[in-house]
Amino acid sequence: MADFGVGVPDGSAEIARLSLGQGSSPAETLAPSIRSEGIIAVDITAKFSDAVKTLEPGAIVKDGFFTLFDSVAALEIMDPKMDSGCAAAEAEVEQLYDVSRPLLPEEVLGIIDQLLCHEMSWHLGYPLSQTLFTSFYVEALSMPDPRSIQEATFIRGGGHDPNEQLMLQVLRAYCLGMLKSCGYVNERIKSEHYYEEEDFVTNTYNRTLLASLPTSAIQDNLLEAMAALRSQTSSIPEHLVEALLLRLKLRHIFLDAVECPKHMKEPELAKKPWKEGLAILPALKKTHSLASPVDEAFSAKLQRKLASTMPPRPIVQLDFDVAFGHLNSLFEDAMELINVLHYTDSQCLLTFVTTFQAKKPQPIVYVRTLLQTFLFDAMEVLGSMSIRQLLDDDFAILTMPAHQYLDRLNDEVEAVQDPRYAMAQQMELFRTRAAQPFLDILRTACQNRCRVRRTLCHLLRDWEALQLDAEEIDQILQVKAKEQPTMYRSSIGSGGVESYSLPLSSWTYLYKLRQMELIIQLGFELEIYQADEFAGMYWYLNYISKSRLHHTERIKMFVIKRVEEAQAQPMPSDHTVGTQLQRSLMYTRLSLLDAAVTWELSDSLSCLYTILNRLKLIKAPPRPYGTDELRYEIRMRPFAPVGLPVLPTFEEFTTGTTQPDTDMEELFEYAERAVEGAKRGFEALSKMTAEESFSVGSHQRWAEGAKNGLKSCIATKIAIAAVQKAVAKAADPDDLKLKVEVPTPERAYHAFWIVPKIVLLT
Amino acid sequence: MNKDEAHEYLSSLLNQNMRVYTTDGRMFRGSFKCTDPDRNIVLANTHEYRQPSEGERSAAAANASGDSVTLDMTSRYLGLVVVPGHHIVKMEAEQFLSQMK
Repeated sequence: MADFGVGVPDGSAEIARLSLGQGSSPAETLAPSIRSEGIIAVDITAKFSDAVKTLEPGAIVKDGFFTLFDSVAALEIMDPKMDSGCAAAEAEVEQLYDVSRPLLPEEVLGIIDQLLCHEMSWHLGYPLSQTLFTSFYVEALSMPDPRSIQEATFIRGGGHDPNEQLMLQVLRAYCLGMLKSCGYVNERIKSEHYYEEEDFVTNTYNRTLLASLPTSAIQDNLLEAMAALRSQTSSIPEHLVEALLLRLKLRHIFLDAVECPKHMKEPELAKKPWKEGLAILPALKKTHSLASPVDEAFSAKLQRKLASTMPPRPIVQLDFDVAFGHLNSLFEDAMELINVLHYTDSQCLLTFVTTFQAKKPQPIVYVRTLLQTFLFDAMEVLGSMSIRQLLDDDFAILTMPAHQYLDRLNDEVEAVQDPRYAMAQQMELFRTRAAQPFLDILRTACQNRCRVRRTLCHLLRDWEALQLDAEEIDQILQVKAKEQPTMYRSSIGSGGVESYSLPLSSWTYLYKLRQMELIIQLGFELEIYQADEFAGMYWYLNYISKSRLHHTERIKMFVIKRVEEAQAQPMPSDHTVGTQLQRSLMYTRLSLLDAAVTWELSDSLSCLYTILNRLKLIKAPPRPYGTDELRYEIRMRPFAPVGLPVLPTFEEFTTGTTQPDTDMEELFEYAERAVEGAKRGFEALSKMTAEESFSVGSHQRWAEGAKNGLKSCIATKIAIAAVQKAVAKAADPDDLKLKVEVPTPERAYHAFWIVPKIVLLT
Repeated sequence: MNKDEAHEYLSSLLNQNMRVYTTDGRMFRGSFKCTDPDRNIVLANTHEYRQPSEGERSAAAANASGDSVTLDMTSRYLGLVVVPGHHIVKMEAEQFLSQMK
């Protein structure tokens, strides 16, 4: 026996949502009329009561398809905690709010600002039932569901003129605009990837949010109300008229703004409403002081009218200043987001998305889903590019500049024995396999931070599988293309090895390593590790970034080889070849630097935390049920399925973390040397231009990250020096007169780099 | 009524539409799924019906022209509910007029 309630997505609703942009919610489960000619209700109270009395204690009579498990989900009637309709004695007495009562301009302002707070609470993840749907005005407009704009009035029927009272006309226009835009927001979020209840509650409790009313009619209604207001300047003080006009205008603009995905091909047009909105927001905030709130226009009791089995919950009260702050950042973030439509190359796009999502505070869920729409809507990236274009662009930047595998003309070759035929075939095969994991990186970045890390852990397995495919395809292609091996002298091993370029597996491996680093780094940002584990986790980060550094060096060698080949060609080839090679060189430089700073800074921090652990300045919390080995196993679980780089054994990990054979002096020296290197690296990074750092369109945010990294280096240096000095001075090595404060990620310069603060005790 | 009869009677009511009235004046209409010695009742696909409030009634009376006023009960969908036996004041089983003897 399932609960055939609302909220259970049924097939038709799914289809409606897919085929139409603004599909309405499933047809309401209409309450059957209780008066019917053919049906008679027979009183069975006495007979029934007698019958149940004969049942033995514990016995039940039930339908065969009904399980006791189902009954757990049932709503208990008359339980005040569960039953929102449970009428307390005073509820009956309570006078319903009269939505037709005359309102003062100040009161309308107050109600509008209260609605604004509720709207933002909804954006922040509270359900409509505790926010907008607690308003009597909203209730009056949405129930029963109006089929036309004429019907959507506070008082239905009875020949009421909705425009009779100017103040009510203004409020009605505002509410209509608000509900319609909420409908758009809800549809947008529902159509993309988000986490219900965790990020956002899309439940509309069978209300349609005016889905059946055309937007144009509501826009016109807003304009009419504005015109009516302007004509009344004589009877209402001017500053109040201004304040009301601003709010109506905001609604008008916001309705335009939520339709911005329409203009994906014209970013300036898409940006316009957000810009206009930002321009009027400061004035809106200033006029809030004129408003006088009308608390009785909202009631938590309205929840009993909603189609929901949720127990009634209190109204969410968000402070206006807080709500306004969120509204402001909604407009700011959305406007900034439109810049993503100016595509430069795949890496700039990746930088844009990751830095945008790493913003603190993170953009709210609507903005994040909007970004997903831009990225993926209709299987097109940014509304105009195919996924193949994006992938080929990325291959070309990372490992295959101006490569014959990526030649579009290969597709035209029909002769099966021609190597180009195999190239086209195999590359297409690889693209189909790589598309999903690659797009998932972008999609994952659009989730909330905790989910980003979690999803990356899953995604890592896909990349592991992809690497196997890539190796196979690389081998097939290098035979077809008759590639000659190159002597590659790795910086770790002595002597050269004959190597093939393996462009596809190199590409895959680089991404895999970057994700592994990100998983560890997000662990720091999300406070997953305890302070005493930092030495170990930074040691592991160091281990992974070292692999990335070596791998990038290998890629670099082959890129340089390609450059040399191109230069050796007597014929001046296509000028794009030169730019592509240049771009790849630039990218390897960035990638080398980035891997190097991660390597060195993590090395330094690992040493520093090892020292602090040894000095017992950081103490492990009591863990009666845990052992170091079990904890190691759980920390490394995401990385266990990865074949390469090999997962260090617990013994290797412990040795790397405690470094028992290294004395304190040497540790200080290592830490200092590494942080010095990292500092130089960050300095070089922060001097890079947008093109060099592949952050066109998001350079400011990217550079900020580099600067914060630099600050973390300096803080690390200071911390090392402080500990070193105290150790040298202290007469008693057990009493260093030091205290270590490990900051939370928000208080650190960079959330990935948790630098301890050393406080001298006097 | 003996035990077997009672059991048979209750079983015959299963999956029929029932109207259960509670102490606060509401009525719940859904298909009967389960009961126990305490007369707790589980209804599936339930709708709640509420009597118009005092205010609504007087408003309707004021607007009405004739002697009597008809007001619809307000209703909403609830799904699966348990009505505790001690809150039940009246129960009705729905029967088709055509099938009654």
